[in-house]
Amino acid sequence: MRAPAVRLILAAALVAAGAPAALALPAPASPLVAVELLAETQSIAAGRTFWVALRQAITPGWHTYWMNPGDSGEPPRIEWTLPAGFTAGEIQWPPPERIAAGPAMSYGYSREVVLPIAVTAPPGLAPGGRVTLRGRASWIVCEKTCVPEEAPIALTLPVTATMPALDPRGAPLIAAARRTVPAPSPWPASFVATPEHVTFAIAARGLDAQRVSEAWFYPARWGAIEHAAPQRWRIDDAGLTLEVARGPLPEAVAGPVEGVLVVSERLDGGVARQAFAVRAEPHAGSGGLSLLQAAALALAGGLVLNLMPCVLPVLSVKALGLVRHASGRRAALRAHGLAYTAGVLASFTLVAGTLIGLRAGGQQLGWGFQLQSPLFVTLLAYVLFVMALSLSGAVVVGARWTGAGQALAARAGYAGSFFTGALATVAATPCTAPFMSAAVGYAATQPWTSALLVFEALGLGLALPYLLLTLVPAWQRLLPAPGSWMVRLEQLLAFPLYASVAWLVWVVSQQAGSAGVAAAVAGLVLIAFAGWVYQVSRAAGGRWRRVATAGVVALGVAAIGAPALDLLVDTRAAARVARADGGAWEPFSPQRLAELRAAGRPVFVNVTAAWCLTCLVNERVALRSAAVTDAFARKGVVRLKADWTTRDPAITHVLGSFGRNGVPLYLLYPPGAAAEPTVLPQILSESVVVDATEKI
Amino acid sequence: MSKLRLTRRTFLAGTGAAVLVRGGLLAPTPAAAAVKVGAPAPAFTATATTGKGVSLADYRGQVVVLEWTNHDCPYVRKHYESGNMQALQKEATGQGVTWLTIISSSPGTQGHVSPRQADELTTTRQASPSAVLLDPTGVVGQMYGATNTPHMYVIDKAGMLVYAGAIDDKPTARRSDVQGAQNYVRAALQAVAANQPVKTPITRAYGCTVKYP
Repeated sequence: MRAPAVRLILAAALVAAGAPAALALPAPASPLVAVELLAETQSIAAGRTFWVALRQAITPGWHTYWMNPGDSGEPPRIEWTLPAGFTAGEIQWPPPERIAAGPAMSYGYSREVVLPIAVTAPPGLAPGGRVTLRGRASWIVCEKTCVPEEAPIALTLPVTATMPALDPRGAPLIAAARRTVPAPSPWPASFVATPEHVTFAIAARGLDAQRVSEAWFYPARWGAIEHAAPQRWRIDDAGLTLEVARGPLPEAVAGPVEGVLVVSERLDGGVARQAFAVRAEPHAGSGGLSLLQAAALALAGGLVLNLMPCVLPVLSVKALGLVRHASGRRAALRAHGLAYTAGVLASFTLVAGTLIGLRAGGQQLGWGFQLQSPLFVTLLAYVLFVMALSLSGAVVVGARWTGAGQALAARAGYAGSFFTGALATVAATPCTAPFMSAAVGYAATQPWTSALLVFEALGLGLALPYLLLTLVPAWQRLLPAPGSWMVRLEQLLAFPLYASVAWLVWVVSQQAGSAGVAAAVAGLVLIAFAGWVYQVSRAAGGRWRRVATAGVVALGVAAIGAPALDLLVDTRAAARVARADGGAWEPFSPQRLAELRAAGRPVFVNVTAAWCLTCLVNERVALRSAAVTDAFARKGVVRLKADWTTRDPAITHVLGSFGRNGVPLYLLYPPGAAAEPTVLPQILSESVVVDATEKI
Repeated sequence: MSKLRLTRRTFLAGTGAAVLVRGGLLAPTPAAAAVKVGAPAPAFTATATTGKGVSLADYRGQVVVLEWTNHDCPYVRKHYESGNMQALQKEATGQGVTWLTIISSSPGTQGHVSPRQADELTTTRQASPSAVLLDPTGVVGQMYGATNTPHMYVIDKAGMLVYAGAIDDKPTARRSDVQGAQNYVRAALQAVAANQPVKTPITRAYGCTVKYP
């Protein structure tokens, strides 16, 4: 192996010039901070981006500053003098500590900090030579007093054509530092500013309040919040809410507020600090949505739903019914309008109730949550398919669902109108109208009474056009005269429904793969056949009709049963979903692990949970990184993911056998059925996983 | 006003550099929550290096600049060693502006000076403040939410706070950065003189922390 050609020039820090003033206190010994420029690799290659880092070794008791230094101080700076074609990126800032000084709060680093910087070499760089990266680092270091220091920094690296080897000293330090650099937060964040406070809402649903010991928001810039003020936080169903005194700069809360959220999570062996880059958007309206605004938005959203391809045919056919029977009794028409509205509202109450109930159970749901179930999606496709067949004239269910026909004036039709309302709600499920998302998003974070009100407003919006047509007779006169155009229009309206069916089948394909699609399409065929049988039996009488009805019911059951059997019982569907997520991760089972080990394969087991922050960060920074994926591929490591989001006794047993009662747990089994697994640390970095993998 | 006079008399009867606040009601509160730009500047009384009590109310009808300082802080030295602060003081006081330099370093901390040392600093640095006030208990500093040295405030003739923050837009300790920096205090004074609203009324002050007890 070649001797490392890295030449670190340890720079002696120079205290900024300036004769001491007449009454200066004795100057502290300098330098207070020793700096060096580290490299991740022992050499560089043309066109490649590599990491370097400014390491500051800080005299104990003193501190240097973060990118937002807080109420005083300033961040370290580097002025680069790079060879032609080289570019250096911004400093990547590890999360800071809080340093309180009287009424002021500083954000900075003590003892040691490694500040990574990405440097890109030009594409035309010839191998064989050496390059020197030079710069001038300047910083301010404070204890009670402050001292500005600066020093030249330099790093000489050979240029090679081969893949550069890792620098044994720089690589682990830089990897550890990069691991702590905040990754973009996976959760949407918003804030509401009042004259006194700024309240951040970070939609980290499923965060476990028991696991979080501290949360602090470090703003990227001065002005939005008081740095020194206490931050009150709580964790509930909606995620993390954090309230802090508002800062002095009014325009700082006019747009998004950016910063770093540091959450300390209790793990088995201690506490892990996880940092996330947060960009909080101002909540719609300066004071956030009021209940009234949310209800108004929901009403508008419901109105717009009527125009959606899956709902429009329902409303249109109802309107056509009115055209046919414009001469009907007003009271009866009104009653139909009210029955339809009642049907819509009752269905919405059901949806809202289910949602609120599941939310109370700790689940994270939004509008259309039902669509997460492939069985529900398939059934919805069936319903829309039957409606479409009916509009095409292939099946005459007619009087039942359109509520038109002779039944309109009759009392018996009211139930039909009620169920049409329910049908409209079901058909509306896959559609999200504009205005709706804001209102439903609001409902998701509110107490159940407000949530219910928002949902009812949404339902009223959906029912309103038809309701008004029945309540205001004058409007009925605006409808065109009945004629053969109505039949053509009905037939035309079938097509948006067929399109909706096609889309839902595509959804099933995403959720349950080709087997799911096969089951759903087979069901559609059975339904079409059942429709034909039903149609034929209408002409026949007596016994034949009963036989046909039984046949239709049997076909219907078979149509529903096919996907249900496949989707509900078959755990392969879940396996497929797990595999689609992140790629190459198989779901864990003790049997699968035993099988793989018996076959002599090395195995990596990732015991994780959706509510575990540390797990999330580890997956982002280490397990899903290219270097780790490469290392696993080289060694033929099979990846098993043990998801403990809902307690699973088999996984609990695995945790217990390693003396753990919580996640994360990372196990690397070397090849061979008898080999003991390596237990990796709870905080992973790329290099930790890569090194461990290389050793097996 | 009688209340304030009483305060002053009480103060004069006292010893040392105690600072009294009107009515004694304004307890020190955290940081910048204390003052609001666009609101009346809170009244205060403090001892000048001359030994006399100085009240903000004494300057009603005049434009007042408050400058928090600590002569050993590298950021303060940047502006004094470059002559930037002195030039601004001369320019302002030449136009009838009252310039109050305030030292809130507590005893034993960096920047804490006796009245005589403070006057010596004024002479050796050729500074020209209207008065140098000593605030070793930090009451005035905390009332104004002064967090840094230098930390600058501008109060208009009506007694309204119209500027709070940094001296300029180059938050470094480097003397060479004075050149070409946009001086927020000068801009505020020009706006006030022209009866115009201050364009940048609030900025992040930069420098060393004020050495409160």
